[in-house]
Amino acid sequence: MKLNTMAAVMSFVSKIENESAEFYQDYARRYPKTGETFSSFIKENKRFEKVIKQTYFGVITDTIEACYSFEGLDADDYEFVINSAPGTTLADALRMALEMEDKIEKFYLTVAELSYSLMADIPVAFKRVAKKRQDRKFTLQSLLETV
Amino acid sequence: MEVRKLQNYINGEWVASESNELEEVRNPAWDKLLCHVPMSTQTEVYRAVQAAKDAFPEWRNTPPVTRCRYLLRLIELMEERFDELSRVQTTEHGKTIDESRGETRRAIEMVEVASGIPSLMQGFNLEDIAVGIDEYAIYQPLGVFCTLAPFNFPFMVPLWYLPFAIACGNTFIVKPSPRAPMSQADLFMLFDEVGLPPGVVNLVNGATDVANNLMEHPDIQGVTFVGSTPVGRIVYRKCGEAGKKVIAQTGAKNFIVIMPDAELDSSMASLMSSFFGNTGQRCLSGANALVVGDDAFYKRFADKFVEAAANIKVGDGLDESVQMGPLQNVASKQRVAGVIERGIKEGAKLALDGRKLNLVGDVPETCFLNPTVFENVTPDMSLAREEIFGPVASLLRAKDLDEAIRIINGIPYGNAASIYTTSGKWARQFQHDVEAGNVGINIGIVAPMSFFPFGGRKDSFFGVTHGQGRDVIRFFTDPKIVIQRWF
Repeated sequence: MKLNTMAAVMSFVSKIENESAEFYQDYARRYPKTGETFSSFIKENKRFEKVIKQTYFGVITDTIEACYSFEGLDADDYEFVINSAPGTTLADALRMALEMEDKIEKFYLTVAELSYSLMADIPVAFKRVAKKRQDRKFTLQSLLETV
Repeated sequence: MEVRKLQNYINGEWVASESNELEEVRNPAWDKLLCHVPMSTQTEVYRAVQAAKDAFPEWRNTPPVTRCRYLLRLIELMEERFDELSRVQTTEHGKTIDESRGETRRAIEMVEVASGIPSLMQGFNLEDIAVGIDEYAIYQPLGVFCTLAPFNFPFMVPLWYLPFAIACGNTFIVKPSPRAPMSQADLFMLFDEVGLPPGVVNLVNGATDVANNLMEHPDIQGVTFVGSTPVGRIVYRKCGEAGKKVIAQTGAKNFIVIMPDAELDSSMASLMSSFFGNTGQRCLSGANALVVGDDAFYKRFADKFVEAAANIKVGDGLDESVQMGPLQNVASKQRVAGVIERGIKEGAKLALDGRKLNLVGDVPETCFLNPTVFENVTPDMSLAREEIFGPVASLLRAKDLDEAIRIINGIPYGNAASIYTTSGKWARQFQHDVEAGNVGINIGIVAPMSFFPFGGRKDSFFGVTHGQGRDVIRFFTDPKIVIQRWF
């Protein structure tokens, strides 16, 4: 699905933040060892979505090129598959999480790049969240090494 | 389902109009009836003016800091209902949801700036103009003002004036566009919640008759208008004859100069937004792309421009994949289609024909046109000179910047002009010499922020002070000069 407009990008942000939060919720229940980390991720996801949307709603004006900045941006490139099969091991779950976070980070960096010269504060917000996702990948990698 | 009939808001109450004359408001994307809007009677207009006049003495004596608290509450409510307000604009006008959200944000910014009225409205003084004598200027409100609003930014434009007017201590009447009156009705529901004293803000639905009744009423101190140049002239003349203050922000034919050193790739989104944003129905839209440079540069630009325009997704503005909505009504579509036909007859080359529809989803074709691009347009053609107010771009050429500026200054409008360049020298020359009230440098839509005046010259503006910012504060007040000596 093409993400032609800022409105479409915002809806996709909600989708990926909600879906990844659901993933962490599911596995935090299954593997209490991850509970604290995953719970903090879930809280962060809400905050990330809020930061991005606040920025968008705060600066969107009739002058901003919101409808024309995202040539070539396709949601299909950033969709992630979540396997919630009952027998999934913690190691597999963490690998899935890493893959998911990698896609989300790439999505945020791509949007930041595409909107860099046009969208006022918006690329800054996306870059900030992408950086947090990168930090999160380090955390996940460390967890994986302990499994 | 019963289709509602909009009401007027007079003296702090919603009242049904006595008029049996109704007009339909239709969703232009789906060609569906949304509501009926009454053409209010003269009696109703006079009732609104009387309510505003009666409210004025107490309101002007309300301290500015208290007056602005009502606006702060309004901002809260607008933020709470941000998306709801935006969706109504898309429904009644057709613009995309991003564009409506942009309009809502701009509207809120107007109220935010107006809520700084305790600072903005301050006068000035000079001690000892002669020994022991001081002089000072106090800015005082004048009474009842009104605005005659356009259809293209139905929610925002009345807020270029209303919050400033009432913050200054005046009272106010809005006549929304009968083509898109719903978002103003929703705004007035918020005013009702805010709890302003009755009569401070009023809304009267209608068309030309209501506008005339307002302009001719002796108790109206001033009128603001946004719309076409021919109507703006009438408003200016009528108000002038009656001794009223007036701001008339009118038509446009905006040029975008593309210099040979312009960053074409990074400029294209901005150019598409300029020419086709709001379906070209805005006074700041780019209309003529004036390309300076050799044949190879022109071809590179034209190819990119036409390709980008051809790729624009057109459909229902509530569909988030859509980049351009319909024209606001079927008459607008027919008018713009007629302009395209005339352009062909004038000898311009139709590089992209927006009449060949390519729409997203199963929307009816009723109000839609895709983007149109003409090449080989010359400055004498009507395509280059007359306001189209639709998604039609004309590509012209000039041999150098001097010639480009001469072409721009040769048309009667002076609303906005932009240049795309990486040269500071060219940008500076353009900014200095071009006869336009709003100038963009690598900016396609030069929409001044709420704390700056909205420029406009020649046939694009009639009046003395402009809308927004400090200018509009001067419009809604009058300086009283006091010279004092104490024995």
